[in-house]
Amino acid sequence: MNSMKANVILDAKGLACPMPIVKTKKAMVGIEAGQVLEVQATDKGSKADLKAWSDSTGHQYLGTLEEGDVLKHYIRKSSGDESIERKHPNVMNNDELEKKLEARENIVVLDVRETAEYAFNHITNSISIPLGELEQRLGELDKEKEIYVVCRTGNRSDLAAQKLAEKGFTKVINILPGMSKWSGKTTSLNN
Amino acid sequence: MNKKVAIIASNGGLFDAYKVFNIATAAAATDQEVAIFFTFEGLNLIHKNANKQLPMPEGKEHFAEGFANANVPTIPELAEMALEMGVKFIGCQMTMDVMGLEKEAFVDGIEVGGAVTFLDFAKDADITLTF
Repeated sequence: MNSMKANVILDAKGLACPMPIVKTKKAMVGIEAGQVLEVQATDKGSKADLKAWSDSTGHQYLGTLEEGDVLKHYIRKSSGDESIERKHPNVMNNDELEKKLEARENIVVLDVRETAEYAFNHITNSISIPLGELEQRLGELDKEKEIYVVCRTGNRSDLAAQKLAEKGFTKVINILPGMSKWSGKTTSLNN
Repeated sequence: MNKKVAIIASNGGLFDAYKVFNIATAAAATDQEVAIFFTFEGLNLIHKNANKQLPMPEGKEHFAEGFANANVPTIPELAEMALEMGVKFIGCQMTMDVMGLEKEAFVDGIEVGGAVTFLDFAKDADITLTF
């Protein structure tokens, strides 16, 4: 299985409603925007509750893994990066990338979201390198290939594309908007 | 922006207490603004002594074991948690007068007010609940 990295793990096992939500609320205060919280719970209602909680508080519910009696919920703290100005000049929209993939062109799709976001749903055959690890992992990428960078809404991928361009990658294209509106083929944990 | 939840607690049993405090703490944890108006038997839910020994409904006493097994927080714990998360507790002045109770008999952090105090909060509430 894919490595599922969370920045903070909250143990809410054995607690009944509404405690998993109350604990999650408190844990969320202490983590940074964009980071991923893993909530471990045994309360079966926590799955629906945490999804609804995320929706109404503006955080991003990524998904839930079941391991025996334990439910592991992954939530990414809202990043407030919706209004950042994008700077990388080469962009392409979702539909055009989807056509390229359907035509089986030999291209690289680089997903720079957090590993937990990637694990729950990603473009089939895309590579996962979270934005925060990109600089150390440049060696895994081929400078000769066209690299299509994707994230959820196009902001982290813009930063990643700028970073790649700065490091001498010339064929880097930022995909807009990205996974939030992706309708093409994906690989996910839940199907 | 944030939703407002106005709750009236007018019954004093253990089940009533869980209904009130579970909804209130869940709402507060979801960044909603919550006020509870405790009136008549509902005042038991925030009475320092009474809320440690709220009665089960008659014939339902066997659920005590279920509560223990499910690791449900006690009512005093839930009340404290709710206050900590900013839930406003309003004790009904009229009921307190009728029952001869002073503010000191209740958990710390409550406000005492009349119906209008609650109605002022509830007038633009998004959700209003009665238990």
